Formats: sequence, C-alpha cells, structure tokens
Amino acid sequence: MAIRDDFEVVASQVRVVLQRFALGLLVVGAFAAMLIGKADTVLVENARVLALDLASPALETIARPVAYANRVIADLKEFASLREENARLREENSRLLAWQTAARRLENENDRLRELSQFREGPEASFITARIVGDSVSAYVRGALLNVGRRAGAATGQAVLTGEGLAGRVAEVGENSARVLFVTDVNSRLPVLVERTRERAILAGDNSPQLRLNLLQGVAGVQRGDRIVTSGDGGSFPVGIPIGEVVQSSEGHIRVRPFTDFSRLEFVRVVNYGVTGLVTASPQTAPAPPAGQKVR
Amino acid sequence: MLDRLGRMALPGTVLLYFVVLTLAPLRVPYLSDTLPLLPALVVFQYSLATPERLPGVFLLAAGVLLDLLLGGPGAPVGVSALGFVLIRAAVVANRRYLVGVPFLFQWVGFCLLAWGYVIVVWLMTALFTWTAIDPTPAMLQYAVVIVIYPLLAPLLARVRPRDPLNVPELSRGTARPGETTS
Repeated sequence: MAIRDDFEVVASQVRVVLQRFALGLLVVGAFAAMLIGKADTVLVENARVLALDLASPALETIARPVAYANRVIADLKEFASLREENARLREENSRLLAWQTAARRLENENDRLRELSQFREGPEASFITARIVGDSVSAYVRGALLNVGRRAGAATGQAVLTGEGLAGRVAEVGENSARVLFVTDVNSRLPVLVERTRERAILAGDNSPQLRLNLLQGVAGVQRGDRIVTSGDGGSFPVGIPIGEVVQSSEGHIRVRPFTDFSRLEFVRVVNYGVTGLVTASPQTAPAPPAGQKVR
Repeated sequence: MLDRLGRMALPGTVLLYFVVLTLAPLRVPYLSDTLPLLPALVVFQYSLATPERLPGVFLLAAGVLLDLLLGGPGAPVGVSALGFVLIRAAVVANRRYLVGVPFLFQWVGFCLLAWGYVIVVWLMTALFTWTAIDPTPAMLQYAVVIVIYPLLAPLLARVRPRDPLNVPELSRGTARPGETTS
C-alpha cells in the first residue's frame, strides 16, 4: 500500500511537471519530428506513402464531384471569353491541318528510310492511364496524387505525360497511389536539349509557373520560341519528349513555359520506357509489364 | 453519452477532414490555393472556443500528417505540427483579447497568428531545403485565407461574448467569478 501511495505521488508530480512544460515539450517534439525527417529519409518516405495510401480512397470518392465542380467553374470562366477563344481555335486548327499534311509526308519518308537502313526500333513503351485525385497546392511543392500504384505497375522514376508534353515524374509509389513531382517543382532538374540547336542544358523548376533553363555553354544559341525536349542524358527519360518553349531569353535568365496546362490536369499517362536512371537507390521495384503491352 | 462523445470528437474530426481536403483537386481560382492554410484556421478557431478538445499531442500528429500528405520529398515533416502547437499556445495565452470581444478583434488576432504561422513555415522550409524560396505564393495564400476567415470561422465554432462562468473549466483562463476580462 505504501508503494502504491508513493507511486501515485510520483505520478502526480510527473503530471504537474508535464503540464508546466507542456508547450516546451510539444515544440521539442515538433523539432524532433523535423530532425528525424531530415536524418532518416527512408522512414519519412515510407510514412508518406502509407499516409497517401490511406488518404487516396477518400480522395477518390470525392474526385468525381470535385471534377464536376471544376468543370462547372471552367465553363463559367469560358463564357466570358467565348468569342476570342473561337477565333484562336480556328486559327490554330488551320495551322495544325497544315502540320498534319507535313507530318504525313514525313512519316512516309521515315518509313521508307527505315526500311532502307534496316533501323532497329528500341523497346516500345507501356503506359498506364491515371486520374489525378489530389493536388499538392502547397506554396513550396508542386505535385499531384494519382490513383494508380504498384498494383497497376507504376514505379518511381517513371515519366508522367499529358497530351501536350512532359508533366513530371513519379516520386513515390504506394500500393494504390502514386505521387507525381511536377517539372515546376524546386526539386525537379531535367537534362534537356534545345530542339533547334541540339544544345544541352538543365531545366530546373523554382515553384513558379515558368521553368529556368541553365545552359552549359552560354546563352548564345537560344531564341524565343525554341522548343525544349528531353535529352535522355543520364538515362533519365528517352530523347524527344517535348517539355516547353522558351519565352524569354535575356542575359543569364532563360525562362521556359511548359506545354502542360497544370491548371487543367485530370488524366495523365504514366509511361514506363524501362529507363529509371534518375532514381538510383529506390527500395521498391515494380514488376515490369511486358514491353509493348498496354496496361489498363 | 454519444452526444458528449460526438462533441468531444468534433474539433479533431473537422481538423482531420480539412487536412485531407488540402489534397482535393479543386480548381477554383483563389480558394484552392488557400487549402493548405485551412487546417491552421481550424486550429485557431477551435482553440478559441474549446481548446481542451484539441490536445497538444493530437495537434502534433495532425501536423505531421498534413506535412506527409502535402509535402514532396525534401519538405520538412513536422513544420505544420510546430505551427499548430504555437497557434494553440498563442490563442490560449491571449484568451483575454480574443474571447468576449467583437468579431473584428478575433479577425485581427487571426491575421496576426496566421502571419506568424506562414512566416514560421516559410523560414523552416527555406532552412531545411537550403534554397531561397519565393515567398509570393505563400503571401497570396495568406491574403486569401484572411479574407476567407469571416466566412468560414463562424461555421466552425462561435465564440460569443459571455460570462466566463459559462465556459468549461479548462477554457476559463484567468477570470474570477463575475469578471468578463481579467
């Protein structure tokens, strides 16, 4: 009995101390979480993947009503500018029809030349269609959450494309969800080519709507309107995926506007070309779908 | 009994709901930018009304969850937890100025605390990733959230001026019987 009384006395004293220093302890706890996050990134990655897997089903159930609401709002915005939009689309259409003829001609020529030189095509890509079920609208991270995960064949390092061009790459993969890091994010660095001059460069994001192009040999060759495509250096993505076009090339600051319209992303394609050079030590390996086969 | 459980659980549930909602792909022009700051708004409002239903450890967990869901690789996990804990502590310490005063003062108080929260998060993120991060998107989020506050806060928890003796024990602050401010 004396022991139990002593224990109760000590317990109440501990409780008093805890209450007095509650705020301090909580702040220390928060800093400890930050330090652990800094020190042990694998733990944090696993925790993040787990959290996303839990949140993803909830987000997917509200994804459809949210998409409907988005469409209503987009319709309202478009009503305001119907006429100019129409004119612009007509002009773009006629331009694209001209390109279509050129493309057909080039395609024929390409086929004939390939036959001639007996060119061997690389392995075909397989792709997975995914719906965006979450946006990362934090002021410091640009990314999105997809509703496909390891079960569908997604893996870290895969390219994420839209119809217009490269949107980003898969940063983390869970069982049923995946997180995409957009090209505009601060942590995104891609080796690229300037299409016209074939000059090599690094395309970096800085959380703003435009990307920064860091040339390796000076700004001489780059003009406004140049297209930027992936260069395949470092085994990251294959050559030739369009990313954006140059909008400003003053001394030292080249700005690139990405082709992807990040404000309207709903469906994307996750493409597995079989090269994952950008991600060196990933602990998860996805079962590779046979080349050339459409997955879902 | 169920009634009481429901009321006890309400602030926590609403906070978790807003934490998950930050990920929703809502494309409303200004509102969707501000989603990451809404959990801070929830923490502020419930700390005003019933801080005993938002224990510190729960705030830590909710902050860590928010960082895990929202941040990409490289963002400091736990910075929101720090922010939530500081908001709650600041509100509880300054109840005298925030409870029992006209709504405008609560709004001003929220503006100050939200500013502190945004600054802390920006500073910690810049320190941890060791890059200069453009503060403009964060400032835009801040501007939108302080405009949204009067629309959202009364829906969450109303803090009407009232006699302190009506208030549950732990929320009473330093008021003595009969006082409205101490």
